[in-house]
Amino acid sequence: MTPNRGLRPDDGVVEVESVSKLYPSTEGESTWALLDVSLSIRDGEFICAIGPSGCGKTTLLNLIAGFIEPTRGELRFDKAPITRPAPERGVVFQEYALFPWLTALRNVEFGLKMRGMAKVERSERAREALQLVGLEDAAGRYPFELSGGMRQRVAVARALVNHPRILLMDEPFAAVDALTRASLQTELLRIWEEIGITIFFITHNIEEAVYLGDRIVVMSPNPGQIQKIVNVEIARPRNRSDLEFGQLYATVNGIFHQQGGVVQ
Amino acid sequence: MKEEATPSLSSRSDKQKELTSDLLTSIEERFRRDLLRSRRRRRIRRLLLNVAGVILFLIFWEIAPRVVPGVNLQMFPPPSGVVGTLWDLVASGELAGHAWSSLKRAIFGFVLGSIAGVLVGLLTGRLALLRDLSDPVLHSLRSIPSIAFVPLAIVWFGLGETPKVALITWGTFFPVWVNTFIGVRDVPSIYVRSAASLGASPTGIMLQVVLPAALPFIIAGLRQATAVAFVILVAAELVGASSGLGYLISFSHLVFRVDMMFVGLMALGALGFLADALFAAALDKIFPWYGAEAR
Repeated sequence: MTPNRGLRPDDGVVEVESVSKLYPSTEGESTWALLDVSLSIRDGEFICAIGPSGCGKTTLLNLIAGFIEPTRGELRFDKAPITRPAPERGVVFQEYALFPWLTALRNVEFGLKMRGMAKVERSERAREALQLVGLEDAAGRYPFELSGGMRQRVAVARALVNHPRILLMDEPFAAVDALTRASLQTELLRIWEEIGITIFFITHNIEEAVYLGDRIVVMSPNPGQIQKIVNVEIARPRNRSDLEFGQLYATVNGIFHQQGGVVQ
Repeated sequence: MKEEATPSLSSRSDKQKELTSDLLTSIEERFRRDLLRSRRRRRIRRLLLNVAGVILFLIFWEIAPRVVPGVNLQMFPPPSGVVGTLWDLVASGELAGHAWSSLKRAIFGFVLGSIAGVLVGLLTGRLALLRDLSDPVLHSLRSIPSIAFVPLAIVWFGLGETPKVALITWGTFFPVWVNTFIGVRDVPSIYVRSAASLGASPTGIMLQVVLPAALPFIIAGLRQATAVAFVILVAAELVGASSGLGYLISFSHLVFRVDMMFVGLMALGALGFLADALFAAALDKIFPWYGAEAR
């Protein structure tokens, strides 16, 4: 880990304070998707959230993104309350979030165009962003002409071109094959180190969390809560066959078995 | 299997040596050429079959009235009885004149109705308040067959161009509105969320995300509307007009010229077919991604 990444506990770029979210379920019932959850995301860290379905990890992401409002509690970004989505908090979804009617380049340009940047400048910046994810050659192609892995790279570029402070990623590599996923993970780490961004990364894959995260937020369902936060103190680049990697995998896996949740 | 393994392995490594870049390029070229040729062949085949289908239909039409007992050739003229009339009407420019005045009305009404349909569809699809307010009224009006308004339109607007254009505007509005509404309502929320997190304003989301995302539905509505436009056009022209294909048909009725009626009907068929073909061609050109997700 690079030493200049701030690790003081109270300078979180995102502060989640006693947040609860009540959702309507079937037949007028309601369930706590999140109950009294607090979390401080530090500037520059790579934080992974993991848990079985129904543990509220996506709800937490949607709250930080500003897509939904908490029933109770408060969320702050850079000390200001989060009230709505904004480009400073970029989002990468699972899949199919690229606009199918725009080419890769136009998709990446979208945010800049919406904010009124001149054509030449935004095209230049979009090309830079595509270059960062290694897809400068695919600029003119439509999403349907790209593989699943390439689409997610474009989605990352589309968010990064706005220079967000934090990148919120909701199981972004869940739908791609194992080999592609491994290379996307490595590349994401490279980009993270290169531009010094904060990443909040949701996954249901323990190995992915141990490989990527500085910290792993383990969540449990009914009601959605944070069960434990695990520090990953393995130097990068991490090797999946190392002993300490295996030990940490076992630790996280053990926390799951405590809660009785079934995780693949 | 096992016995074959050794020789095939060695022969493969021999072949690998031969696979120079020149050879690869020539194989690729041949492959591409074959591909183009087979595609062209398939296209030509389809075209020939299309033409053959038309010819078969004409032959059937020529023979049927003659062999079916009790058919009067004046009442059911075969192609040979129509072609002379067709030629006369084409040569005198009469047919083109009627077709053009029909087409003008259809296009005018279609454009007005479609614009209104898309606008209202966008608004009712996005704003729950407007949707709930307008739902019962619009759906009741929609279920009245547009043709039922023909007498009313004549009473209100007389016999000129206005009642025809107004009727077609009215009739094309509904399919375009309903389809736009469904397309807008069902825009995946992930697109809207993406756009919002990328910094788009509500207006930006509406015009740059919701509208293009709903386009497949809007286009389906427009296509339906072209068919509707022709139905209403003819209904209006049959009742009160001094030009147009509908007028040609109703006039032929008065002078008892079934052959002329047939010419009018054929012209309507051709116009409808052309309109739909143009639609499909424009779609491919303007929206290359349309329908590609399913491929």
